[in-house]
Amino acid sequence: MKKRLEFTVNDELLDLEIEPHKTLLEVLREELGYTGAKEGCGLGACGACTVLVEGAPVLSCLTLALEVRGKKVTTIEGLVKNGQPDPLQLAFVNHGAIQCGFCTPGAIMSAKALLGRNARPSDPEIREALAGNLCRCTGYTKIIEAVESQVEAK
Amino acid sequence: MSSEAFSQIGRGQPQIDGLAKATGGAKFVADLELPRMLIGKLLGSPHPHARVLNVDASKALALKGVKAVVTGEDVPGKKYGVFVSRMDETGLTKKARYIGDTVAAVAAVDEETALAALDLIEVDYEVLPAVFEPEEAMKEGAPQLHDEYVHNVVADTHYDFGNVEEGFRQSDHIREDRFYMQSNSHGCMEPRGVVATYDVSGKFTLWTSTQSPFQQRRDVARALNIPASKIRVIKTYVGGGFGSRMDTHPSHVAAALLARKTARPVKIILSREEEMGITRRRAPMTVYVKTGVKKDGAIMAQQLRAMADGGAYACTSILMMYNAGLTCMIPYRIPHFKYDGYQVYTNKAVTGPFRGHGANQPRYAVECQLDMIAEDLGLDPAAVRLRNASQTGDTTISGLHFVSCELSRSIEEGTRQAGWTEKRGQKGTNRGLGIACGGFVCGARIAGHSASAIFVQVNEDGGVTVISGASDIGQGCDSLVAQIAAEELGVPTSDVSVIAADTETTPIDNGSFSSRVTFYAGNATILAARQVKQMMAEIAASLLEASAEDLVFRDRKVFVQGSPDRSIPFGQLAKATEAFGHGRLIIGQGQWAPTNTQFPDKTTKWGNISGSYSFSTQIAEVEVDRETGEVKVLGVTIGDDCGRVLNPLSVAGQVQGSVAMGVGHAFMEHLVFADNGQLLNPTFLDFKMPTTLDCPPMKLVEVGRPDPIGPYGAKEIGEGLLITAVPAICNAIYDAVGVRITELPITPEKILRGLEEQRRREKQ
Repeated sequence: MKKRLEFTVNDELLDLEIEPHKTLLEVLREELGYTGAKEGCGLGACGACTVLVEGAPVLSCLTLALEVRGKKVTTIEGLVKNGQPDPLQLAFVNHGAIQCGFCTPGAIMSAKALLGRNARPSDPEIREALAGNLCRCTGYTKIIEAVESQVEAK
Repeated sequence: MSSEAFSQIGRGQPQIDGLAKATGGAKFVADLELPRMLIGKLLGSPHPHARVLNVDASKALALKGVKAVVTGEDVPGKKYGVFVSRMDETGLTKKARYIGDTVAAVAAVDEETALAALDLIEVDYEVLPAVFEPEEAMKEGAPQLHDEYVHNVVADTHYDFGNVEEGFRQSDHIREDRFYMQSNSHGCMEPRGVVATYDVSGKFTLWTSTQSPFQQRRDVARALNIPASKIRVIKTYVGGGFGSRMDTHPSHVAAALLARKTARPVKIILSREEEMGITRRRAPMTVYVKTGVKKDGAIMAQQLRAMADGGAYACTSILMMYNAGLTCMIPYRIPHFKYDGYQVYTNKAVTGPFRGHGANQPRYAVECQLDMIAEDLGLDPAAVRLRNASQTGDTTISGLHFVSCELSRSIEEGTRQAGWTEKRGQKGTNRGLGIACGGFVCGARIAGHSASAIFVQVNEDGGVTVISGASDIGQGCDSLVAQIAAEELGVPTSDVSVIAADTETTPIDNGSFSSRVTFYAGNATILAARQVKQMMAEIAASLLEASAEDLVFRDRKVFVQGSPDRSIPFGQLAKATEAFGHGRLIIGQGQWAPTNTQFPDKTTKWGNISGSYSFSTQIAEVEVDRETGEVKVLGVTIGDDCGRVLNPLSVAGQVQGSVAMGVGHAFMEHLVFADNGQLLNPTFLDFKMPTTLDCPPMKLVEVGRPDPIGPYGAKEIGEGLLITAVPAICNAIYDAVGVRITELPITPEKILRGLEEQRRREKQ
């Protein structure tokens, strides 16, 4: 039996009816067409499904959609405002931090959350914050450099 | 080596599709939705070896929302496979040969219904005895997986160059050692999949994450017994490949059959467990190596025997075993070489190409043994590499010819940058340095069609479209062909768009494997772009009253050399060219394969199979904790010869990715099978891959010179560096604490056991 889900996604207030066992990832991808968040493992081990809930990084494949009732969810698509990508997104592009791109949305969201709570993270802090975002292509170096480039100047 | 003459080549450029990937706009196959689309799921055998006697799908079909079930009985055509001589797959099988082998597939209105339907499909199996170890599988009386392959040997490859017995007789010192490299998973972040449609005219369209859509077209056509032109395969964005997605998967056959049966689109996306358990993996290999050297370390003879556990189907068997022997002959001058390689069927998940493709296992064995030889003779391991290093102009005893080779420089520069003389042999610090050298092909031309083709089209506003058959799987080949077209036509790379890897609209290309794409597609792009350039130069020449040879294409302008004021904007020239005479199509084509190669002789295997070869030296610095056995990789230094670096950003990305993957291969990544052939760790929880916390700092020294054959002098960078990663680490561990790892992966237990054995020996 479907249940009501009122929540905000990328600044848009939504009112849906969904099956209670649906994950946030499924609702984002299948109900709302936000395919940026990916299913890499379905177990919360790879981070490709990372989205923000009230600014905090969350593994959406392990989150029931109903858990975010009344909350603000941000996906990778939501970082583009008025057709302008977020400087963090541009940093990933320009630093060569993207190869196949499958881990990219999740990594960017984790980084966005980090910079939201700490405007001047150190290299170890960046690595720690992104340790849950597996990447098989890049070896992480350029991902770290891209995030570093967005660290506020002292 | 100056890149100043170039406008795009040699510059670090981000990928042209980077923004799409960074904003969620890039559609991978799981992101595709079509009206009335069904979800498909695969049913795998629970037995490692069993005949499928009967499949009763009636209960599944009775479930609401289930639209169709297909089995091995629905596959009308012939077996397919990577090589014509080893076609052993039907996709949906009537004989299960490993746990998970696909025996049926279902299409339903949603995933849950499809999964529920799987449980309702009743399969009668005749369980057969199974075999899990290659040595057992080769014995008389062992269960036969495929009728055609006696003793389950699907590939046996032999080289015999020179006279190894003579070489050993001339040697001052001989070692014989055994090494074993474990199986691991490619670990692509994207679980693969396919969306298939079938239209009333009889045409299939498949969207899929693949390294070669042309391979799928050929194989699905065979399996379905229809002409290849009735199938269109379109490569979507691909979330990693590393060799795992080159060949056709049962999901391709299943999705096509289900789409035809239901007359609806069918999407099959693998779970992570399936991506790890029923696709491809690194072949675990035992390598016996015997090497004879002179007192100064010069190699006189080398003999290798390699035994690969191939799993249930052939995949690239003959090529992998060929590579295993072949690549041993690249980095060093070897006067006599003998090799016997075997890939054997076992009732386990299938092995296939994986970054290095058979080169990794022997490289690990040879590089570790060379260090052991160096120690036996009291020589510096780096000096032994230098003593034997291949040189520009060499032709090996097997016919490989090196038109460019900077291996010696890579050893010299690499060791210097790594602090080789200062940091090695520091007894008591638990820190050590280890070296490994290697070389790799830029595409191996073994048989059949092997070329790349490109079209370059200029649009009326001066925008350029490159139509490429090559498959970008994240390594950036779309960006590369765009960069090259931009260079030739004098426009920024951002003015170039790329259409690629669609069997209907783009030229045929073998695919992204064997590190061939930059070499082949890059050169084809140069040819196509120059054709267009020539056409436009002729028009510009008449407009500017100059001679075509004096024209320069740069900065979106075409101008006379020396008189830049006599110019025409590129866009304007495009329009003028189009309108010229009765109208003109500004399209150029290029097809390229190296002309300095030969298919290997069928008997002797002699032949130069690659236009050029990359070379590299990897040096690892490690620190070993004697209490816990844990190893920390403090840093990696790489001396690399990939010819001219076309895009430093991409090259650095490949190098960093290789180093990280090397750390994973060395320490963490091990696919473990139970005694009954069941894969025990098909998830990221139990199959560990490196995270941001596991990657060592890295120094890269590029020592290449422009290669005479590669595009603008470029050679490969995708695979050569991974093959030296593991032995460099193993050799460093030996330097640190004197423990020799002969079976991978390196674990704390093995280190501690090694230290204990050392203590026992010292007491005696």
